Amino acid sequence: MLLAAFTSTGPREVSPDATLVPRLLQKDVSAFEQLYDRHSRLVYGLVLRILQQASISEEVVQEVFLQLWRNADQYDPSRGPFVPWLCTMARNRALDRLRLKSERQRRREDQPDELPSAVVAPEYEKVLDDKRRAERVRALMASLSPQQKKAIELAYFEGLSHSEIAAALEEPLGTVKSWIRNGLLRLKEGLQATS
Amino acid sequence: MKNCDQFRERTEAYALGALDPEERVALEVHLASGCPECTKAVEEARWLISQLAYTAPEAAPSDMLKGRLLQTVRAEAQSQAKPHALPSKSAIPFWLLAGVAALVVFSIYSAWNTRRLHDEIREANNRAADLVQQRQKIEQELLLAKREATILMDPGSVNIALKGSDAQGPQLKAKWHSEWGVVVMGENIPMPSPHHVLQLWFIPKAPGKMPMPSMMVRPDANGRFVLLVSSPPESMDATKALAISEEPEGGSPWPTNPPRYSGGVS
Repeated sequence: MLLAAFTSTGPREVSPDATLVPRLLQKDVSAFEQLYDRHSRLVYGLVLRILQQASISEEVVQEVFLQLWRNADQYDPSRGPFVPWLCTMARNRALDRLRLKSERQRRREDQPDELPSAVVAPEYEKVLDDKRRAERVRALMASLSPQQKKAIELAYFEGLSHSEIAAALEEPLGTVKSWIRNGLLRLKEGLQATS
Repeated sequence: MKNCDQFRERTEAYALGALDPEERVALEVHLASGCPECTKAVEEARWLISQLAYTAPEAAPSDMLKGRLLQTVRAEAQSQAKPHALPSKSAIPFWLLAGVAALVVFSIYSAWNTRRLHDEIREANNRAADLVQQRQKIEQELLLAKREATILMDPGSVNIALKGSDAQGPQLKAKWHSEWGVVVMGENIPMPSPHHVLQLWFIPKAPGKMPMPSMMVRPDANGRFVLLVSSPPESMDATKALAISEEPEGGSPWPTNPPRYSGGVS
């Protein structure tokens, strides 16, 4: 009975990232290498999906990990998991490159204050390994209508706004807004159900 | 909060970056007002949106990227570790500071001097490279001149007279050496039309076989030219005649005009 109660309410599983990231502050190269090995495939896959070109994508991934190395203090483990924060940073960088921002703007974004804002995991967040999480998110996206999926992908991977998506798909603005909102709500509900 | 509902339903699109400027600014103004519920909703929406990263196909970056990154971070880690090894400011005696200052001045001078020397070496290297290039060009020209002289002087070379289509006009001379190639020479040759050149053709003996295109030339201001064909497209035995026709600039794979000069290979 006591054991059952312990296992059901026991401490939440802790990701190795939670111990690796603080070691970056001590300039621990081994911790950096482990973080790179754990997440470079996910980050590179995301950036490559946005930029569609291997050489430029590697440049962006290099920038992302160097930014992590140099500004690790900007990540607060108490405010949320590491991977969403890293992916948000990678997506922002890749979309900046996609929009061909000027060199001056890019330099400005090297500053720590351009790092992503807090990415807070909701109550229902459960620590899944990357593989299971990827399977779950892909399955949920596949369950959306083709229009919802398309509109969300245009916004996420190409950085388009509601109006730009409406123009690209030749659909009314209100319809596009509904597709995106309803699609994201279904995704959210699906992830809640997973936990 | 009065307008919270309208903002709350936009938090996901905001985190996605899909809001148009007007809606985005309105939501940011609302967030700046300090609404804790909407702030929390936006932070959670950012997590939801970040999950879309998993829909991108995973891909492995090159090993070189990891190598570059580790090289950079190791160098930065070492450079940041070094300052801790230095003694504190108060522990450094004046003579040592003076020595360090002298060393810095000397280092700056050395760096400047090294850079100047590097510039001079680079210029010298550039000049040497130019001279080598010029020498190679002269050697190449000398080699061609020797080949021409051999063809013209060797008793084994076959003489070919290329008569003009105009019986009163000049005729060309050619010499063909079975090993060294063909030299074709002309004097007082009328200039071809603008944007045209004179092109040499090797006419095979084999019946029905098309003339083989060869080199192009424009006579100089005095109507002279010397053409050296080091590797004829046909052997002497297989060639019935040589011919020259006027062709568009850049040459042609087959004759587009009747020959202006031609001569049989005996």
